[in-house]
Amino acid sequence: MKRRSREMKNFALRPSLWPITIKAPAVVALLMIAVSVVVSYLVLARLAETQERHLSAISDAFLDGLSSSIIPHVLREDVWEVFDALDRARHLYDGVDARETVVANAQGLVLAASNPVAFPTSSPLPKSLTARFAKGVNIVTDEVGRRAHVMRRLIYQGREIGSIYAELDISKLLEERRAVLHTLIVSNALLTLFLAAIGYVAMRRIVRPVHTLDRYLGRSLVGPVAPIPEEELGPEHSEFGRLFRRYNAMVEAVNEREALASVLAEEEKMASLGRLAAGMAHEINNPLGGMFNALDTLERHGEQRIVRERSASLIKRGLRDIRDVVRAALVNYRGNGATRRLDRSHLEDLKLLIRPELRRKSLSLEWTNELNAKADIESGPVRQAMLNLLLNACAAAPRGSTLSVRIKTAGGKLELSIGDEGPGLDDAHRDFLENGGTADGPMRDGAGLGLWMVRRLADEAGGQIAVRDNAGRGTRIEVSIPLGTEKSEGSAHDVA
Amino acid sequence: MSFAHESFAHDLRMQSSPLRRKVENVVVDRRRFVTGAGALCFLAALTRRGAVAAQTKAIRFGLTPVFLDNDLKLLEALKSYFETATKRPVQLVQRRTYEEITALLISGQLDAAWICGFPFVANRDQLALVAVPLWRGRPLYQSYLIVAKSRQAQTLDDLRGDIHAFSDPNSNSGYLVTRALLAERGLKPADFFSRTFFTYGHRNVVRAVASGLAESGSVDGYVWEVLAEAEPRLTGATRVLRRSEWLGFPPVATARALAGSANVRRLQQALLNMDKSEAGRKVLALLRLDGFASESPRLFDTIAAKLALVRRLG
Repeated sequence: MKRRSREMKNFALRPSLWPITIKAPAVVALLMIAVSVVVSYLVLARLAETQERHLSAISDAFLDGLSSSIIPHVLREDVWEVFDALDRARHLYDGVDARETVVANAQGLVLAASNPVAFPTSSPLPKSLTARFAKGVNIVTDEVGRRAHVMRRLIYQGREIGSIYAELDISKLLEERRAVLHTLIVSNALLTLFLAAIGYVAMRRIVRPVHTLDRYLGRSLVGPVAPIPEEELGPEHSEFGRLFRRYNAMVEAVNEREALASVLAEEEKMASLGRLAAGMAHEINNPLGGMFNALDTLERHGEQRIVRERSASLIKRGLRDIRDVVRAALVNYRGNGATRRLDRSHLEDLKLLIRPELRRKSLSLEWTNELNAKADIESGPVRQAMLNLLLNACAAAPRGSTLSVRIKTAGGKLELSIGDEGPGLDDAHRDFLENGGTADGPMRDGAGLGLWMVRRLADEAGGQIAVRDNAGRGTRIEVSIPLGTEKSEGSAHDVA
Repeated sequence: MSFAHESFAHDLRMQSSPLRRKVENVVVDRRRFVTGAGALCFLAALTRRGAVAAQTKAIRFGLTPVFLDNDLKLLEALKSYFETATKRPVQLVQRRTYEEITALLISGQLDAAWICGFPFVANRDQLALVAVPLWRGRPLYQSYLIVAKSRQAQTLDDLRGDIHAFSDPNSNSGYLVTRALLAERGLKPADFFSRTFFTYGHRNVVRAVASGLAESGSVDGYVWEVLAEAEPRLTGATRVLRRSEWLGFPPVATARALAGSANVRRLQQALLNMDKSEAGRKVLALLRLDGFASESPRLFDTIAAKLALVRRLG
């Protein structure tokens, strides 16, 4: 459970692992969000600008109207009339909510304010009020306080006779902007969600064939490669229609090749059987010649005890040789029967089976078998693989060279090592032997078929194969098979 | 009237609108002639102009900010009542200041006007009473000194250094009473208050004090009481610090030369009978008055005494 949640977390953190049906709509949604953010920003910036202009225009209108009505009163310092004008102006201008208005005379003393308690008549203008407009600014907005502060100098006949300071409530403007922002966010979010959903559905439809392909490819890993049925192929001219048809063509080719390979394997088996049979015949023929000689000698000089004894011993030895060869062949090709544990003699027998080949090419054999006890492994496939490797080495080795074979168990593994002085394996064969797979290299020519069989045998026994340099002279193939792994009988006999 | 020219109000008026300057000139001219050698000729001219005014059928009735002259409903009802009662077309004439109305009245351009006790006593020799309103059964009212509701002040002395709102330099309750109160102590408003200004309306005085523009104000007690009923929120922000003695209620007066004219007689009857008709009672109800009565000019002696006191102080 814990591992599963960790896997889920890894999965969530690595977008490269996400299925394309999630990734593509996510990209669409991200793009939509980016677009809506940019659009919202532009709209709001534009709105703010418009509002700024609007505010400036209405405050100008407010101040224009106010100053034209109060200038005569300011000239006379008529406190009441200025106050009355401010009081009336408070509700006079639509769109301007003047919270505070203060009119000062030329000396900077308050003449009248809409709120006389805060700004008593004759008191100097508070610094907090005038400081805002220090740098010749006439309008200062305070968005946090939701206020705009405006200032206007009252000029009469070119002389400054006073000034108006007003605090305007811009809550409505800000509220409007907030409402626009809210609407934008909500509508953009809905639109983005909507489009992302459409994108999700559309992408799912678009990439559905990928799923189909994935399903069939995945199936081929655990079983035979199957073609995509006709009803799932889709239109022929669509990308996936073509892809599926190509896949099917490939499946057909692979299946054909598999079939061909098994035919070839069978042929190879027969060929090696033939070679073995010839070798065995030779092995049997050799003692037979001696035995016939001995029989002749017995017929002619049987009455002589020394001759009789020597001839009988010769015949006995010849028969023993023949028995050994037959036994070795029997062990190797026992056929469907009880599985047997591998022991030293099983591998020793192989020497007999390759002896004709060795002799044919005048090869010498360095044989080290360190396997003493019975190994916990089925003998058939191991012998089969070993025999194939040995025959291959014989085939590759130059006349008169040496084959070196070492067999041992180490670290719970059976390790087989076969070295020759041949020209070595090409890269394709080497790669196939080491990594397996369905590479078709070794199947092109008959000589590679033995390797293909070895690879399959190793796969079935869970073994690993390494191709190494044989001390600068030829190639060494090392097979390592874990002990104590019971393979299914069927697969083992399938190749035997 | 001379004190008015020496007052702070005078300084203000020197910069006033062309209209006000024109009216002022009339006043000044009139005084010069009255006190000068050509007084008789001028009076004759006035009388003739008055006669001309009287011959035109319309009755011209002047209103001052003494009462709630901004109430259009009241003006409509008053005009309607006058027209019904006098059977003449009636023109209600409003001006911003008492002075303008007084000048128009004295110069015979109005048949009658509702003025204040102060201009009446100041121009007693040229004006005649038509009727005096009855408020709460008596032809009397008070002047109030008002302050902001929350203010601690208890006496006039606590108001020293205030910004003080007056109603009108020719108002009794909104100026003369407080002026006389200070004069009793040998002070002028400019000495006692840090700053004074005129709002040209009793309601405006209440507004000025209620808003804090002025720290105290002199206001017509009748107007304040009526406002307390009509606009309790406005007066609620103020508090009456001092009530004056009872004084003659602002009267309806006419130019002495027009006193017997038909228009003035019709108007007088209409005023005195106001409480006897439905339309009249409606007007009275709007004004919160009980009716109008004929009173002796002696009713205004107390105001005259205040004027004399102020004049003595110079």
